[in-house]
Amino acid sequence: MTSTLEPAANLPRGSVRDAKYVSERRQARQERWRLLRRRPSFVIGGVIVVWWTLCALFGTWIAPKHPENDRIEPYLKPGAKALFGTDSTGRDVLSRVIVGSRDVLRSAPAAALISVALGVTIGLILGYFGGWIDLVFGRIIDAVLVLPAVLIGLLATTMLGNSAPVVVGVVAALFTPIVARTVRSAVLAERDLDYVTSARLRGESSWFIMFREILPNLWGVIVVELTIRIGFAIFTIATLAFLGAGPQPPSPDWGAQVQDTYASDIVSGFWWTAVFPSLAIASLVIAVNLIADSIQAVAED
Amino acid sequence: MTATTITDALRVEDLHVAYTVRGVDRAVLRGVSFSVAPGEAFGLVGESGCGKSTAAYAALRYLPRNGKIVSGSVHAVDRDIMAMSEDELRLFRAREAAMVYQDPSQAMNPSIKVGKQLFECFTLLGQSKDEAQTAALEALRRVRIADPASVLDRYPFQLSGGMQQRVVIAMALAGDPSLLVLDEPTTGLDATVEAEVLDLVRELRAETGAAVLMISHNLGIIRSLCDRVGVMYAGRIVEQGPSEQVFDDPNHPYTVGLLHSVPRHGVRKTERALATIPGTLPLIGESLPTCVFLDRCPIASDTCRAEAPPEVPLGDGRYTRCHHHEQVGAIATTSTVPDIAVLAPSEVRQGVLELSHISKTFKQRSNAIPALVGVDLELREGETLGIVGESGSGKSTLAKAILGIESADSGGSVLLDGRVVAPATRERSPDEKRSLQMIFQNPDSALNRSWTVRHILVRSIEKLTGVKGQAANERAESLAASLRLTPRHLDLKPRQLSGGLKQRVAIARAFAGDPRIVVCDEPTSALDVSVQAAILNLLSDLQSEQHTSYVFISHDLGVVRYLADRIAVMYLGRIQELGTTDAVFGGPTHPYTEALLSAVSSVDGAARSRIPLEGEIPSPANPPSGCVFHPRCHRRIEGRCDTAVPELQDAGNGHFIRCHIPAAELAALQGVPVAAPTVRR
Repeated sequence: MTSTLEPAANLPRGSVRDAKYVSERRQARQERWRLLRRRPSFVIGGVIVVWWTLCALFGTWIAPKHPENDRIEPYLKPGAKALFGTDSTGRDVLSRVIVGSRDVLRSAPAAALISVALGVTIGLILGYFGGWIDLVFGRIIDAVLVLPAVLIGLLATTMLGNSAPVVVGVVAALFTPIVARTVRSAVLAERDLDYVTSARLRGESSWFIMFREILPNLWGVIVVELTIRIGFAIFTIATLAFLGAGPQPPSPDWGAQVQDTYASDIVSGFWWTAVFPSLAIASLVIAVNLIADSIQAVAED
Repeated sequence: MTATTITDALRVEDLHVAYTVRGVDRAVLRGVSFSVAPGEAFGLVGESGCGKSTAAYAALRYLPRNGKIVSGSVHAVDRDIMAMSEDELRLFRAREAAMVYQDPSQAMNPSIKVGKQLFECFTLLGQSKDEAQTAALEALRRVRIADPASVLDRYPFQLSGGMQQRVVIAMALAGDPSLLVLDEPTTGLDATVEAEVLDLVRELRAETGAAVLMISHNLGIIRSLCDRVGVMYAGRIVEQGPSEQVFDDPNHPYTVGLLHSVPRHGVRKTERALATIPGTLPLIGESLPTCVFLDRCPIASDTCRAEAPPEVPLGDGRYTRCHHHEQVGAIATTSTVPDIAVLAPSEVRQGVLELSHISKTFKQRSNAIPALVGVDLELREGETLGIVGESGSGKSTLAKAILGIESADSGGSVLLDGRVVAPATRERSPDEKRSLQMIFQNPDSALNRSWTVRHILVRSIEKLTGVKGQAANERAESLAASLRLTPRHLDLKPRQLSGGLKQRVAIARAFAGDPRIVVCDEPTSALDVSVQAAILNLLSDLQSEQHTSYVFISHDLGVVRYLADRIAVMYLGRIQELGTTDAVFGGPTHPYTEALLSAVSSVDGAARSRIPLEGEIPSPANPPSGCVFHPRCHRRIEGRCDTAVPELQDAGNGHFIRCHIPAAELAALQGVPVAAPTVRR
């Protein structure tokens, strides 16, 4: 019963092993998804984000009243008539909070996406080429990072105007150097791997090596960076709106609502007009960060 | 085995360990039992993933966070390690058991001086500061470190790898342990340093009487150091017994397969292909209800499929877990690949690559560091030129200079088919790029992990040959087939492939454009021996089909001897010896080569008297005068070797030695075993 050892057989044998490899890939993906779902922080964050996304998309149908036009009576306490109370002109705070998610959920992801796209490109160039380019632009990035983001944002919107595209553009510009720095360090680790040397040996261009060879290996970093940036963008945009840059009253935007109400209402005891939109901002920022943490933890497992 | 009257230093019984990976428990150890008597050295040997390290760590209850001991017992002397509290366990590890890890540079804190780290070991044991100071000095003396007082005052990065490992061993011995666990203690070290560390372990064992548990993938090291050995496979010890008996007369098909896949007894590629073990290691956690080796066993029968083999005693405390151990002798020692076409002697063949006076100087701040100095070499068609030397000898820099990854200094030239090529890759023509390709040491780094195998191969074919689209795809498929990859592998990503398959993909990529010359930089050193054999067979097959020339860099002299036609020995960026494989291994040979050859721990058990190299490799920035090897040479001639640079002398038949001692005299000197360093006047 002796057979000889054949080198041709020194392979995963036939389709049995191959099927195992393929199913292993699918299985790993399923297991990762299951691990993600098992994390309470991911579930809580996910539920909150889904809820606000639904509000942003279908807010006018979900809200019991029209956020700007329907008036009940001024300064009703939270209760049966209005769950979150009413504001100085008798508008329903609950309806305004629900519909108010629209502005921030439109501009924050847009700003985050733009900053990640720009940051990845700059980070790839700095990390891959190194040398004087890295030295010069690296210092510029450091200089930008020192400046307080909100102050610069406020200055820029004052100069360039208050429209949503300007806010998105300003926030994206402020976040780009941060993304670039993270991506740069990830590129430094990739640059010295032998597949890059191998690509050079067959005569690939630097552009090809950066965007086709290295970039696909940065997806993990980029996904985590994107979720974190969305969280920060929500926060920054709401802050700018609160400081008067962005949507103006009577828009139900959360930041604008807080700005509109905090000074006059809170001191007079009408806390609900400012507290509910503030809680909405906090819940969304925390939820996005919970998701970012979970993704990072599962990716590192 | 365990029913001995003396109490064992370590006794492990029926140990089961599982790791939690992505939320699921996966079995890693499936019932491991072994014991180490006081003063005995026991080795666990096996390929990566067999569970040998896990077994050793579990024995000290020292598992990673996701590991857990499912069942089994561990006793050290007469104490139950499983029953110890955390405090008892800490005391036990401090006083009775010590561990030495694979990478000494990671075992020490890089920002704390060696002395302070060493003092800590002693103050932890309750000694005062002064006592610790004296003890630390004594500990360094014990591990034979030259000038221990100055070593105490240095940071770990200021020590060489061998010195670092000595310091780690000194720390391990601080508490006078009765059990010393060594986990691949020499794997990252050069052969000469490895031999020194092993000598040290042997001497210390005799001095201290500590029991040693040694983990290694290297059969030669286990044989030379251990009294008894356990061969592990898929979380089980498949064969156990006295080392010499197990390696000389193996009784398990896996042990037989392992021993057959190592190039031994000076075998050459022209004599026979290496035997391989078919199939791949089971994944961790895979269900293996009967014999763990069943899937890959050449003599498996229905009995093997039906029931797990018991421990079959073979006398002398030996056992094997095989139903058919009496049949293992029938396993073929060679695989049935077609014989290597014996090429004409290399002198007759055409030269394809010529290096003329290649130097490479790195600039570091204001210092010039010459990594290569005036290298002249010629490579002929279909020839394999082996390059050997310790780390820092310039082997890899030479490879990079040939490929243009690092441009050589002006003044030298690389000639391809007699025409000078540009020093940098990007300045070379597409045809020159196609002709010169590389196989890297580590396929994990060499393959883009987000590309499929098909993408990797098609891109190289398109770029190197200009063939596009469907035609390129078809070429990729036939290329994969010629490397014995199945079509289904093409759509997988590198991480879904085993190490051997990954290296096949890397080789396929290098061959995508029908290269004239392939530079192989340690292509098998990241692989297990059974996989290494298959890769070496494949390389020699490809060569005899396509007449490709190889520049083959390796630290493994057995592998170089198997594959290379000629060998160049490098030291400090200079070629010290160049000749046919037979001439270099047969002698007379350069004193440096002599020392390298003597450092190999062979699984054949042939003891060779070792020639120790004195001191450390000098810095290339400040090379010694005269012959660069003279400060470490055991045959140096005072007043000559330290003043005059020796020429490459012709020892006949294309064998050149850079030494002042005439070849005939070297032959006479080396004809007798060298006992002690002889200093001639």
